[in-house]
Amino acid sequence: MLRMQDVSKIYRTDTVETHALRQFSLQVNEGEFVSVTGPSGSGKTTFLNIAGLLEEASGGIYELDGRDVAGLNDSERSRLRNEKIGFIFQSFNLIPELDVFDNVDVPLRYRGFDAAERRQRIERVLDIVGLASRSKHLPSQLSGGQQQRVAIARALAGDPRFLLADEPTGNLDSQMADSVMELLTEINGAGTTIIMVTHEPSLAERAQRNIHVRDGQVFDGEPEIHLAAQTA
Amino acid sequence: MEFGPIWRALQRNKTSYVLIALQIAVTMAIMVNAINIIQERSEQMARPSGVDEANIFYLTSNIFDPEADVEAQIASDLDAMRNFPGVVDAIASNSVPLSGSGWSEGIRLEPDPNLESTGIGVFFADDHGINTFGLNLVAGRNFDPAEITWHDYESDTWPPLAIMTRAMVEELWPDEPYENAVGKTVFVHRTKPVQIIGVTERMQAAWNSWSGVERSMLVPEWRGSSFSRYVIRTEPGRRDEVMPQLEEMLAARFDNRIVRSVRTMEETRERSYLLDSSMVSILTFIVIVLTAITGLGIVGLASFSVARRTKQIGTRRALGATRPAILRYFMLENFLISTVGVVGGAIIAVGLNMWMVEAFGLQRIAWYLIPGAMLTLWFVGQVAVLGPARRATTVPPALATRSV
Ligand SMILES: Nc1ncnc2c1ncn2[C@@H]1O[C@H](COP(=O)(O)OP(=O)(O)O)[C@@H](O)[C@H]1O
Ligand SMILES: [Mg+2]
Repeated sequence: MLRMQDVSKIYRTDTVETHALRQFSLQVNEGEFVSVTGPSGSGKTTFLNIAGLLEEASGGIYELDGRDVAGLNDSERSRLRNEKIGFIFQSFNLIPELDVFDNVDVPLRYRGFDAAERRQRIERVLDIVGLASRSKHLPSQLSGGQQQRVAIARALAGDPRFLLADEPTGNLDSQMADSVMELLTEINGAGTTIIMVTHEPSLAERAQRNIHVRDGQVFDGEPEIHLAAQTA
Repeated sequence: MEFGPIWRALQRNKTSYVLIALQIAVTMAIMVNAINIIQERSEQMARPSGVDEANIFYLTSNIFDPEADVEAQIASDLDAMRNFPGVVDAIASNSVPLSGSGWSEGIRLEPDPNLESTGIGVFFADDHGINTFGLNLVAGRNFDPAEITWHDYESDTWPPLAIMTRAMVEELWPDEPYENAVGKTVFVHRTKPVQIIGVTERMQAAWNSWSGVERSMLVPEWRGSSFSRYVIRTEPGRRDEVMPQLEEMLAARFDNRIVRSVRTMEETRERSYLLDSSMVSILTFIVIVLTAITGLGIVGLASFSVARRTKQIGTRRALGATRPAILRYFMLENFLISTVGVVGGAIIAVGLNMWMVEAFGLQRIAWYLIPGAMLTLWFVGQVAVLGPARRATTVPPALATRSV
């Protein structure tokens, strides 16, 4: 479970103060698939970064998996990210000089798993994303859709509680986007909680719940898109 | 731990790293061989001459009056010098060790000119020779005053006695203890017999780069011509004070000659090894500069490599890398590059040395220079990469989502 209560985030530069999030409150339950929509600059990525412990909130309460993360030091946050969160990025963020196998291996090594366990996990997730035969390929030898699948495999390999995706299909054509969405739905079906930022209403619809962000706040007005059936 | 993926990543970016590894290798090869030369030169420079260097000086007395009684004048000079305050002893000789110019002869065990001879440096001296040079007589005896001859230029004579260095007699009779040389007769000037009456521990000849520099002998003769060289030993610490006084005294004694070329033994050593000591300085400078350049090269490459990979670093942080893990990554990466460099460097260093042994008769490198240079360059690499690696740890994890 993930809970935010009045979370704020202020970016300060010499001249400007940007309130990227203000009184941002939200709860995501175990097993949910939540889509986050909103105009550009509304704070979606900021929300995801705070949720994923990539950035610290300026104020408010954030509990991840029942634990208040305020006051954790950098190493503790790193470890928590590594164990509980899987990231999927718009531009895939694969490491270009590592092959598919080694890319999926990255978070597993930080986790400290032994070689046998890592191999077994890598093979399993590559199987899930359908790229078992490409483990020796470099990212540059794969299509965008395949690269994003590798990134999903990498995010999944450590069995995270949460999968956080920032515009995961933003760099893909609609066909590839579709298959990535299918994969995410499948993964969610297997129990992983997913929070996905997107500006594609059609993709957002495929989540169980949509959160609309405007000016750094969860928008309570007229829902712009139809919500999928609510789960308990 | 992470060696595998780091190594594979390096291999996919070979071109940028091969050059720095090569630079490390070349630096190491030059470092090892330069140090080898420095060691060899330093060892040569460290050899003692066998004489009391700190307290000896010498000068020339040049008599321009053709009517002068040279023998009487030398005897009188020696007497005056030996009684001069602060002087321990003095002789008239032809040369001093390491001066670069001297007299050499060939010694044979039989009076047969067809036999190979052993080269030896010659110092003419009287019974004060051992004391003036401060030599250590380890066997036999000194010359007796009655055994000193005045060299007659008309006749082809050679004094029948000699005191040789231990190195010389051991060269002549390698299988015998040096003491046994006392009493033996050898031949100089093809057929002239010379009996060895004493052995000194050490006295270098005039030429520091001669392989026989440790072989020399004292010959009981005054070879005064119009030109003579006086060697003077002072009481410890009084050399600089005595030198000008004695020069003045000699100049005042006779007005038929010129006293000049006053020089200390220490100065002579310095001049003798000038080339070697400048070589040592230059090579030391080269090694330091080269190592510094390589260190800076590593800093540059690592900075570039960190800058090029900021997004990747952010991604790694997002995936759970702690700051120490990022630091470790770049340190390990540098360690691997350096390892390739120093292993290549070891091979080039040995090859270069083998060539220099062959071409210039240089000594073999001491075994410890290779691991020593490897450790040094590993260390230099780790220090050089520390700055860029620490900068890498400051890349925020949020960069993963913020950069495109
Ligand atoms: N590091 C930063 N420094 C200053 N302002 C920032 C920074 N990151 C984001 N912002 C600002 O915060 C606001 C929200 O940004 P973001 O969360 O990226 O929006 P979205 O993902 O919805 O497009 C924007 O106005 C953006 O310019
Ligand atoms: Mg965004």
